[in-house]
Amino acid sequence: MSIYKIKDLDSLRRHVYAAMQLEHATIPIYLTALYSIVPGTNSEGYQIIRAVAVEEMLHLTLVCNLMNAIGGKADLTTVGFTPNYPAHLPDGEEDFMAGLQPFSPQAIDTFLKIERPASLKHGESNKRHRPRKGSMLSAGNTGDAEEEHFFSIGEFYKAIETGLDDLYAQMGDALFSGDPALQVGPEYYYSGGGGLIAVTDMASAKAALDLIAEQGEGISGEIFDEDGEIAHYFRFQQLVLGRFYREGDQPDHPMGGPVEVDWASVYPIKSNAKITDFPAGSDVRAAAEAFNAGYTQYLGLLTRAFNGEPNLLVDAVGEMFRLKELTYQLMRQPIGDGSAFNAAPTFEINLA
Amino acid sequence: MTDQSSDRFSIDPNVAASTEFDVVVIGSGVSGALIAKRLGTQGLKVLVVEAGSGNDITVADYEESVFRFYGAASKDNNAAYYNPKNAPMPRDFETVRLRDGEINDRGYLVQKGPFEIDSTYSRVLGGTTRHWEGKALRMLPDDFRMHSLFGHGRDWPIGYDTLEPYYRQSEAELGVSGDVEDQRYGGLTFGDDGYVLPMHKMPASYLDQVLARDVDGMTVELAEERFELKVRTTPQARNGIPNKNYAAGAGFVPNGAVSVDQAEMGGRCQGNTNCVPICPVQAKYDARRTLVQAMASGNVVLLARTVASKVLVDGVTGQITGIEAKTYDHPDLPGATTRVFKARTYVLAANAVENARLMLASGLPGQNGLMGRNLMDHGYLLTWALMPEPIGVMRGPVCTSGIEDIRTGKYRRNMAAVRFSIHNDGWGWATGGPYSDLYDAVDHGNLYGASLRQGLIDTVACQVLIDCMIEIPADPGNRITVDPRYVDQLGNMRPVVSFDIPQYTLETVAFSRRLTQQIYQRVGAKDHSSYDPMAPGWVTHNGEGYVVRGGNHWAGTHLMGASAVDSVVNDRQQSWDHPNLYLAGAGSMPTIGTANTTLTLAAICLRTAEDIIARLTASSIAPAVGA
Repeated sequence: MSIYKIKDLDSLRRHVYAAMQLEHATIPIYLTALYSIVPGTNSEGYQIIRAVAVEEMLHLTLVCNLMNAIGGKADLTTVGFTPNYPAHLPDGEEDFMAGLQPFSPQAIDTFLKIERPASLKHGESNKRHRPRKGSMLSAGNTGDAEEEHFFSIGEFYKAIETGLDDLYAQMGDALFSGDPALQVGPEYYYSGGGGLIAVTDMASAKAALDLIAEQGEGISGEIFDEDGEIAHYFRFQQLVLGRFYREGDQPDHPMGGPVEVDWASVYPIKSNAKITDFPAGSDVRAAAEAFNAGYTQYLGLLTRAFNGEPNLLVDAVGEMFRLKELTYQLMRQPIGDGSAFNAAPTFEINLA
Repeated sequence: MTDQSSDRFSIDPNVAASTEFDVVVIGSGVSGALIAKRLGTQGLKVLVVEAGSGNDITVADYEESVFRFYGAASKDNNAAYYNPKNAPMPRDFETVRLRDGEINDRGYLVQKGPFEIDSTYSRVLGGTTRHWEGKALRMLPDDFRMHSLFGHGRDWPIGYDTLEPYYRQSEAELGVSGDVEDQRYGGLTFGDDGYVLPMHKMPASYLDQVLARDVDGMTVELAEERFELKVRTTPQARNGIPNKNYAAGAGFVPNGAVSVDQAEMGGRCQGNTNCVPICPVQAKYDARRTLVQAMASGNVVLLARTVASKVLVDGVTGQITGIEAKTYDHPDLPGATTRVFKARTYVLAANAVENARLMLASGLPGQNGLMGRNLMDHGYLLTWALMPEPIGVMRGPVCTSGIEDIRTGKYRRNMAAVRFSIHNDGWGWATGGPYSDLYDAVDHGNLYGASLRQGLIDTVACQVLIDCMIEIPADPGNRITVDPRYVDQLGNMRPVVSFDIPQYTLETVAFSRRLTQQIYQRVGAKDHSSYDPMAPGWVTHNGEGYVVRGGNHWAGTHLMGASAVDSVVNDRQQSWDHPNLYLAGAGSMPTIGTANTTLTLAAICLRTAEDIIARLTASSIAPAVGA
């Protein structure tokens, strides 16, 4: 049974903000591994990671819609929004650190932990309260002295859903006091699976949370969701098991086409690189700083998009191409410090 | 590579040969795929036979094509696709300037001239929609009555109004982006029920907007008619933002990437500008999308690497009794197994050239001898210039806007119809840019380093190209034939092309050159168009020389008509000579006006599917596939 419940709107908003942080925090992790793949190689691996990364962007947008719906502010530019990698995830899973790594067995292992299915039924929780530790993100905190720790992202979302239920029982439709004009609608996203849901009431809020859970963290532990889409955990597992899942397969026993992995066709980037790792005055340092400046601007653009200018999401596509190009510039360059490593984006953005 | 053992759609050739299907479809391009999908959905058992590789239903296979294109020295429109010796495809660079009486047989197509046409097609899963650009224009009502109205070419046995509902269905199947309000010209109608296209228009490029400032409102007088020009967005089968108002508010869900395994990729157009020959993100429609939907019905199976070699006919009844085809193991090594595939009804959907080639190679020229005749294509005059300032070349799909206002008018009594496309991909089509610009900057400009980068920006970023797409009406003398002296590695006779450009079309070539010169003058661009007398496609008119390029819009070789006397198929694409045979695709079109053929051939094929379903479901259903 639950130890802690979300009891008021402030607490709900704090949790939803943590969800925004969480969804966003996975994106640099996945993009780093994705772009470390030498173009033209590892195409299955590239597509699998890309599909997940795109869905994390969808999830981020869905959570921002939820935030706007409950009258909060979807702000991606606040200090500490982006973690200082490697970091524990904002929902407080303690047993692993998620970092920026090249495409590698270690990276996939981390991805599997990030996306691990919740093992619990609705209403239950493995959540624990722990004394705060400096290295962790602070958004999941429940007070000054302690913060919550969930076993998986799925559980964290279940806590939010339960909180929504409880607050709705108290407040009714007043819970959804946000300006509907801020909602980003389905026309702004589509890819293989799912779509964007404008959140304006309890039903759409639940639908948005269900979509996140189904696509990503696989609350039910099923490989395919009801739309026939593979959950992220099982997508990544295909890279380990060397085959695609097809419908009807049992967990851990995919029977589809082969997934061929070439761990050697990867740029030898430095994991969790920091600006200070790059020699002062060097071109790679300048490029890394340009990337961080570009990414900071990009988060600003998204924040405007989530606050009444959804059309800017179209412009953001061009910005993403620019960031991709900057990433490749870094990853193709040796750091020049005598090590065997190439450079990589550091994502040191508005660090707390 | 696709793992055949895990590919649920392919059928073993021996199993296929021992199965009696409802329908055998030759060709997995857009015509065959649409027909197969409709039939499969209705429970009919369908075999789709594809000459090229079937290994194109995973994203890894698709990526292989993308990277083949990236690495190719020649960026021609088949550069992305493996060209197997056992099912070769035409390549534009094989076209040469022919001297009188000379025959060019160096490529797959044998060209007898006198005009050498550089059109191609693709023999891969999904057919030529793999390399098409994706423009999805409707033909104009006048185009269907060409002969009655203007005394040239042919009339269709059906009119625009008959096809209008099928155009709508095609726009859904292909997933067309566009703005109906931009398409109200030349008599085009879209019903009176507030119809919108499935997705919003591709936004007009900056170049389009710059040109529109000076072109909009420009007037042209032709045959005592005044036309006011306007730059209009072009409808295209490319994923954009879905229109919420589509289907009375039901909206539209676009189709993404094709894959048997789940590895989504394929959102909306990102503006990579290499739609031709391959969209790197699968935003562009190609027929594999329809094909995979067809196969998801459980009633449609694919037999790839199999080239149809002979249509077998019962000499008494005229009924088709089977189609003989050669299945090869290796794309390039000699050796294939010949089998006969049987069904109640047969559909040839191998494109206008290959349909005619197969029929003629089977000794079936038709009672009226029209098989292969009336070969059509569009003639393209390319014109190019440098804008006074950079206009953002190489962003967006190849074209986002065009000039449509003179697609029809009384002038068509004297000269051919024309429309114009504004290109976002610089001078690529005409000069091979931007690659040729790089060679030029290095070899002739001696540029390197930062000055090379800047030099390319200064030139490429200002490039504008307007293509003039000009009608070439049906003429029995323009034709596909076969000749036992020209065979491919499997022993199949290759298509022999005889083609010429009529004066009627050349008039418009000259007119289009003058008009584009005026346009460039108005917008302050420096015209760089030049035409090489040694280049294939060289034509002269009134002492002026031009180069006319092909449009890959092969059509007319088995055109439809109201009577068996002067046409090959009826308005449902059913053969007059062989009642259980349909010849499907652009080959059935008596005119092609100034629209690329895909949307219209999709419309007639959807109508054909209805006809086949009505005929076959009236009688008993064949046993299940593999049973």
